[in-house]
Amino acid sequence: MRAALGVLALAVGTSAAVLGIATLGLGLRRGDERLLRNGRRYVFVVLAAAALAAAAMEWALLTHDFSIEYVAENNARATPLLFTITGLWAALEGSILLWALVLGGYLAFMARRFRERATDPLVAWATLTGLAVALFFFVLMLGPANPFKTLADVPSDGAGPNPLLQNHPLMAFHPPMLYLGYVGFTVPFSFAIAALVTGRFGEGWLADTRRATLVAWGFLTAGILLGAWWSYEVLGWGGYWAWDPVENASLLPWLTGTAFIHSVIVQERRGMLRVWNLSLVIATFCLTILGTFLTRSGVVDSVHSFTQSAIGPMLLGFLGIVAAVGIGLIAWRGDRLRAPGRIDSPVSRESAFLANNLLFAALAFVVLLGTVYPLLAEALQDRRLSVGEPYFDRMTTPIGIALLFLMAAAPALPWRATTGEVLRRRLLVPAWTGAGVMVAAVVLGARELAQVLTFGLAAFALAGIARQFAVGARAHGVARVVRSNPRLYGGLVVHVGVVLVAVAIASSSSYSTKREVRLRSGESATVRGYTVTYLDSDRERSGQKTTVSAQVRVERGGDDLGVYAPAISTFPNSTSGIGTPSVHTGLREDVYLTLVSSPNERGRVTIGVAVNPLILWLWIGGGVMALGTLIALAPSLQRPFRRREPTPAVGLRRQNDEEREPVPV
Amino acid sequence: MKGRAIGAAAVCAVAVVAIVVLGVVLSKNVVYFRTVSEAVEERAGGGGDGRLRLAGEVVPGSITETARGVRFEVTDGEATADVIHRGDPPDLFKEGAPVVCEGRWSESDVFASDRILIKHGSEYEPPDVDSGEKASGDKASA
Repeated sequence: MRAALGVLALAVGTSAAVLGIATLGLGLRRGDERLLRNGRRYVFVVLAAAALAAAAMEWALLTHDFSIEYVAENNARATPLLFTITGLWAALEGSILLWALVLGGYLAFMARRFRERATDPLVAWATLTGLAVALFFFVLMLGPANPFKTLADVPSDGAGPNPLLQNHPLMAFHPPMLYLGYVGFTVPFSFAIAALVTGRFGEGWLADTRRATLVAWGFLTAGILLGAWWSYEVLGWGGYWAWDPVENASLLPWLTGTAFIHSVIVQERRGMLRVWNLSLVIATFCLTILGTFLTRSGVVDSVHSFTQSAIGPMLLGFLGIVAAVGIGLIAWRGDRLRAPGRIDSPVSRESAFLANNLLFAALAFVVLLGTVYPLLAEALQDRRLSVGEPYFDRMTTPIGIALLFLMAAAPALPWRATTGEVLRRRLLVPAWTGAGVMVAAVVLGARELAQVLTFGLAAFALAGIARQFAVGARAHGVARVVRSNPRLYGGLVVHVGVVLVAVAIASSSSYSTKREVRLRSGESATVRGYTVTYLDSDRERSGQKTTVSAQVRVERGGDDLGVYAPAISTFPNSTSGIGTPSVHTGLREDVYLTLVSSPNERGRVTIGVAVNPLILWLWIGGGVMALGTLIALAPSLQRPFRRREPTPAVGLRRQNDEEREPVPV
Repeated sequence: MKGRAIGAAAVCAVAVVAIVVLGVVLSKNVVYFRTVSEAVEERAGGGGDGRLRLAGEVVPGSITETARGVRFEVTDGEATADVIHRGDPPDLFKEGAPVVCEGRWSESDVFASDRILIKHGSEYEPPDVDSGEKASGDKASA
């Protein structure tokens, strides 16, 4: 019944996508406005069908309908309610369903937003492209990734979700956030394809998709950081990022997406970088599909395992088609894409944006190479290997520092060209602040170049941002600064978040202390000023889970910081134990406790004790980035910024022109 | 136009240097995956200098505790290797358990491991999770 409802909904969604594509295609061919207006309505049917299918799946999960294979594999009678609901995205088939639902939502928003322009070929082509993407995911679900596949022998109880997925409530937020980010890039992608097809690759499509791109970027940022947080709070190895293929898969589209929201500004302002922007959007979308392929086809475990189901080849094929269409269209339009403007001076805002883009592209390439190299080596040479973290650390650190430098300096650079006097006025104080912090860091004991540079550049950036806020406050009054240009100040707030994240990464990666101590009951050990005392351990069963936890008292200089209980849980459907770390969180540093091994026959436990500085600021920085994104989405009180050609020469520009210039976002 | 040509040449030079650096760093940090017999054979042939992951089963009765960790043997049925591991092994480390040890050969042909990963079945892997490897809580100096 529920399965039949689900399959019916999927069939309706597929048909609606096909009909929508056909109607829009025919309407575009004949220039028939009535067809174009009708065609866009199918988007809402697609959304309704995806919502119905997702509801059928939730219904089946909540009623423990084990006649559906997906439910039997990812739910059990003892599964707590929260993890029953999150079962929708606990495995491949359900995730694809969630993907389709989110895509339906974005497309419906897009169709509503552009309802007045339904007959505009640009909008019609974008809707058609979006529907084609939706069609692919519906076909995937009707075929190899059918979430409603039924079982002939209905088991009396299900296996339950993967233990790692039922250990922390963050699981309820992290995957949907990530999908809202991933899928959101379909909107700018659809418009990029539409711009190429219709030949209208001026600045119109960028303005049309600015908000959608920002929304997607904001969700992706939040999703990645929530993933890092989840990794830190749940996986218990003491870190938040391991350059794991699955983590990299979420980072790759973020890198190209971030490059895009910066380079867009150059095109809006100067009409340059058109090919580059189109390429970045198409690349970002391709990387979301690649990410889905890497995380969802089992190819990461072994190249040879992914062909066991048709999902991997289908995703790879779709990726190939998208890339071929994108590259083909750009090549076809190549002659008409030539930009009217060019860069006048290497020290200008547009040069800084260009450098930013090259660095982001380089970063994406480095991460992509490290991620797919093991797959290529296995597929082509049958050698099994992995790329160690030092590769990623060594290659990404210098690029990251260069980006931090640009982030500090670039917002102060004027467009086109500058004079030494302008640079002095805008950069002198921030640069000295940065230099001062570097000296202070060295005096206080920082020795590694990367850390010293990060702290200095962070201070440089913060001082520059503070200066820009001050300039804005002088012009508009303190209360109206942000509202005077949300895009500029939202972008600067995002930059503040990036600074916090960078400082947290730099300090936690080199000033963490990690030790393992073996203790009997009542014994203590001291790690970097913290005294940990093992009190006792106990064993508890709840639902499917058996948990062994150790009570550990943490003290610092005689202050009792409380009793923490790192634990190891075991589940019947898994041979492995799941560690649950227990963390004493502080603004300055975290004490991170893990139970490495449960009491042995002599009652001795091994407890991992890590002291990680400034980790909290990573999550705070993520929150600040999200806040900045929200600000940047707010409507502006100023008239929308229009490209003025030619921009007056430097000397003639008004003094307060600086604060009207948009910053990334 | 001359300035442009010089600029293009400079960009190409930078790109070439960057790609060479990338290749060198990548090749230095590749960790090969070997079964015990493959690794032993390679070592006997004079190779196996880099970091590698050694896959096998813990030989029952071979585990002894040392001051800084454990010493044990791993086998894949064909060859056996001595392993000295620094740090406590993860909770599921036991006799007969399938393990992957990461480290390098010492001069006395004992495998010095600093990271033990317990192998898992082919269960579904959630997003952002390595195959449970991090759950072993053993990443000491990796």
